[in-house]
Amino acid sequence: MIKLKNLLKGHTGIMRIAYIMVIMLSLVTIMAFALHDDHKPVEHEKKIVVVKDSVASVAAFKKVYRVLMSPRCMNCHPSGDIPLQGDDSHLHTMNPQRGVEGKGVFAMKCANCHQPTNTPGKNTPPGNPNWHLPPANMKMVFQGRTPYQLAKQLVNPKQNGNKDIKKLIEHADDGLVLAGWNPGEGRTLPPMSHAEFKKAWITWLTTGAYAPKNNLTFFQKTT
Amino acid sequence: MISLNINDQNYNIDADPEMPLLWAIRDLVGLTGTKFGCGVAQCGACVVHLNGEAVRSCVTKVSRAQNQKILTIEGLSKNNDHPLQLAWNEADVPQCGYCHSGQIMSAAVLLREKPDPTDEDIDQAMSGNICRCGTYPRIRKAIHMAAEITRKGGMAK
Amino acid sequence: MSTPQVSRRNFLRTAGLGSAGLFLGLYLPDAAVAMVMSEEEAVAADVYTELTAWILIKPSGQITLVSHRAEMGQGVYHSIAQIIAEELEVDLASVDIQFAQGNEKKYGSQLTGGSSTIRGAYKNLLKLSASARQVLIMAAAAKWSVPVTECYAASGHVIHKPSDKKFHYGELVVDASKLQAPKDVALKPRSAYKLIGKPLHRKDTPLKTNGQAIFGIDKRIPGMVFAAVERNPRLRGKIKSFDDTEARKVPGVTNVIKIAMGVYDMDREGVAVIATSTWAALQGKKALKIEWDDSGFEHVNTPEIYRKQREVLKTEEGRLLKTQGDPNGIINRSKDILDVVYETPYQSHATMEPLNCIGHHRGDTVEIWGPVQAPNWIQDYISKKMGIAFDKVIVNMTFLGGGFGRKALMDYPHEALVISKAIGLPVQVIWAREDDITQGPFRPGISYRCQGVIENNEVSAVKFRTAGQNNDHFRSGDNGKANRSTSEGWLKPYFETIKNISFADVLFQTPVPTMFWRSVYASTNGFAYESFVNELAHKAGKDPLAFRRQYLKEERAAKLIDKIEEVSGWRNKGKTKGFGIAITECFGTTVAQVVKVSKKKGEKLKIDQVWAVVDCGWYVNPDIIHAQIEGAIVMGLGAATIHEITFKDGLVEQRNFYDYKMPRLTDIPPIEIHIMENDSDAGGIGEPGLPPFAPALTEAIFDLTGKRIRKLPFDMASI
Repeated sequence: MIKLKNLLKGHTGIMRIAYIMVIMLSLVTIMAFALHDDHKPVEHEKKIVVVKDSVASVAAFKKVYRVLMSPRCMNCHPSGDIPLQGDDSHLHTMNPQRGVEGKGVFAMKCANCHQPTNTPGKNTPPGNPNWHLPPANMKMVFQGRTPYQLAKQLVNPKQNGNKDIKKLIEHADDGLVLAGWNPGEGRTLPPMSHAEFKKAWITWLTTGAYAPKNNLTFFQKTT
Repeated sequence: MISLNINDQNYNIDADPEMPLLWAIRDLVGLTGTKFGCGVAQCGACVVHLNGEAVRSCVTKVSRAQNQKILTIEGLSKNNDHPLQLAWNEADVPQCGYCHSGQIMSAAVLLREKPDPTDEDIDQAMSGNICRCGTYPRIRKAIHMAAEITRKGGMAK
Repeated sequence: MSTPQVSRRNFLRTAGLGSAGLFLGLYLPDAAVAMVMSEEEAVAADVYTELTAWILIKPSGQITLVSHRAEMGQGVYHSIAQIIAEELEVDLASVDIQFAQGNEKKYGSQLTGGSSTIRGAYKNLLKLSASARQVLIMAAAAKWSVPVTECYAASGHVIHKPSDKKFHYGELVVDASKLQAPKDVALKPRSAYKLIGKPLHRKDTPLKTNGQAIFGIDKRIPGMVFAAVERNPRLRGKIKSFDDTEARKVPGVTNVIKIAMGVYDMDREGVAVIATSTWAALQGKKALKIEWDDSGFEHVNTPEIYRKQREVLKTEEGRLLKTQGDPNGIINRSKDILDVVYETPYQSHATMEPLNCIGHHRGDTVEIWGPVQAPNWIQDYISKKMGIAFDKVIVNMTFLGGGFGRKALMDYPHEALVISKAIGLPVQVIWAREDDITQGPFRPGISYRCQGVIENNEVSAVKFRTAGQNNDHFRSGDNGKANRSTSEGWLKPYFETIKNISFADVLFQTPVPTMFWRSVYASTNGFAYESFVNELAHKAGKDPLAFRRQYLKEERAAKLIDKIEEVSGWRNKGKTKGFGIAITECFGTTVAQVVKVSKKKGEKLKIDQVWAVVDCGWYVNPDIIHAQIEGAIVMGLGAATIHEITFKDGLVEQRNFYDYKMPRLTDIPPIEIHIMENDSDAGGIGEPGLPPFAPALTEAIFDLTGKRIRKLPFDMASI
């Protein structure tokens, strides 16, 4: 534990550089609009620069992992085919099933209860227009995954829905991801703001998406 | 004014768009077969079909249902002869009967998508509907019977 | 289901039939309500003639039978008609059924509780139906001028055998209603029944598969408005102040008033929001800001309740209900006493149809429409509470979306009338599920101290003491006596073989209002007493089923034990583990159950099967019996393993089905049911299937794992 901490301390300089690069990268993207013949703005192919930095990457993933394993994210990334529920991540009452597309089955489809928006009140179904679990062929399980396993899985195109780094970065702003920060009355928020999470997510990806070794200290909750 | 199409009939109602579909159907349209059980999507007594899906009308805002196709228990069949209704009668499923509009509407989606469901399919489809009288064994039995009725050419919708 | 117009001009004169007071349906109207229509007018208008209180016939031949009791799932709506149709000789398919209004003079008690409808009414119903048939035959014979003996009744007609001439009942009813039935109308022997004893389809089933059945919540009265009430969450407190500013802003809300609803002897304060739709009323209720006055009563905590119950059971002897021999003497001198405490939880009735009622206060007259189990109690209560003449309290029953005892209370009809009186309109009060779960009244949570001595492998003494709230105390205060239901559920034949035994009730009170809950005290007594019987059997080194055979020597009990042994496979189970048995009796019916459990490594404990054998004597409809026992087992499963009501600082901790969870389809084991055939008097059916389930289940778990469960509910996943 001490070793890891020291390592992180020693590399804060590099991490800063990495962040600056990310910010610059996004500036480049914004400026890269050009007017084409049809006068519609078109975004050029983003070039994402990855600056490998295992220490910064692992440090960022530590934050990412804390968010992904929070009930707001993990509850819809269960190890089985039944979503989880509540801050204690118990099996969803009435056992709704994932189904092929992740949208439930028969009379038990997610959207039958989960409306386009949160239903007012405590213990009511949270909502989102696209409420679903990962599909059956791409389950993207969080529950029970070690940081190492989860990190590897997140960047594996065969397991992440064929997402490259660009799509992964975009995914941080996915409607359902954002729903984690608007969970409905009475539910705890993920352990950091969405902005902070997104920053960590991008940092992790753009510093090489290193998978932390399965070190027990990683699981210790930090506040 | 909100326009609702319920059981192939159009209704224009003066409702707050936030009003749950359940209360619009019961109090404003006047179809009381759909029941209020919990108000929080726990019990399934309020299930109606919205574009064919078994939504819980107690948490579905009337604005979501506007100009969509809504089917309630009253419209499932003209003569109480949907295979599920025939089977429910044959097996005398209901006791107090209060939850069974929702039970039947849930089962109707199951049968449409899986005309010959297994016990596991029934588990997966029907675990969202509570019956306090405990008619569950007969619900299971009647769904199998309804599949059989359909197979033998009973009326199917 | 509108109330048919009735000609009250003519009635079946059957005076002298049966003993006065027992034979009902002889209601004669006073002059004030007698019909003004002439006979000819009545025939022309095709209005009903009330041949007896239960049988209405139109000149056109249409027949309506009356259900004087509440239909809450237990099937009386159908069963009453199935009985009447048998002796009246009508086709069940062609008759209509209507609910009676509250009228005790006419129908006797209409309290639908204690599984009493069929067992209480069947002899009377058979007799009055046969009498009605007889006067119809007599009327036909007179019309034809033939001997009565040449005529018989079938399918709603009287037929003259020699000539094959026939009249339908409608053509005879006016004449028949003027005749006096002979004193001794012969009743059919059971072997001649065409309807009774058959698994006929329920007549209410079709109404319940297409949304047609009108439950209380579905009832609509011209001009009615809707109301929802925020009541003091601590069940007794008052209102200090409230702010309705936001509530009144909700579109549709028309009024907000402070009210008090009578619950037994107390008045519970609340704020009623009146609106043009149910939803507006519920929204307005949520927007209220209320400061409660919770002074003057104890704020209970569940752990405290059970700690105190244990405490009083340690030191107090309580009030004796029954005793024989010298159990105390034997226990005092014995060195090896089985001495254990069982705990049972508070429970909510949680009917699927939340409480609701329409009330219309018209000044001198009040009327209610709703899902009610006890019309006469409502009449009595409202009459006294609101100063209305008893006969001016009109109670109309609808279908009930479950009752289980909760809907026998008068609080919610009273509340509807209080609001109606204040606003001058008919109003439907609706309880949200959260109100239903948090407000009670609840089944009382009861602790049981059970002591027993086994000497030479036989029971020498048993002593039971209970500590829990007595429902009666809420009705009429502490009468100084033991709870008269302290031994409910316990099988009487044990008194023949256990010579030293006592039942006592240690007074225990809290401010929490309590109420009958399906199978009432048997629902908790059964768990304690039958678990203890199992414990005694093990201590005596006997098989629990064999123990019962030895100690229950009465003939019906013995046959019941043989049957459950046979059907459950107990006889041939060999060394297979996981079998548990329990037998309880309540409301005239004895039910034996065997539960079989198993557990695979890493998996949750599984209930493989439940077998039930029912001895209810004479019965009407075996399929309804099966349904009731199935349902009771499912309800028992929930109460034993899934839900309970707990209190913290006087507040109920559960609110809705997310924390007062219900068994679901996936939780239900296969259930096999058998009915004993005998000619004993009819017993009840709605409730007796519940009590034996929990003790049979916990015994099965003991058999499998050696773990004895003495506290309900328990989590099956923890086994």
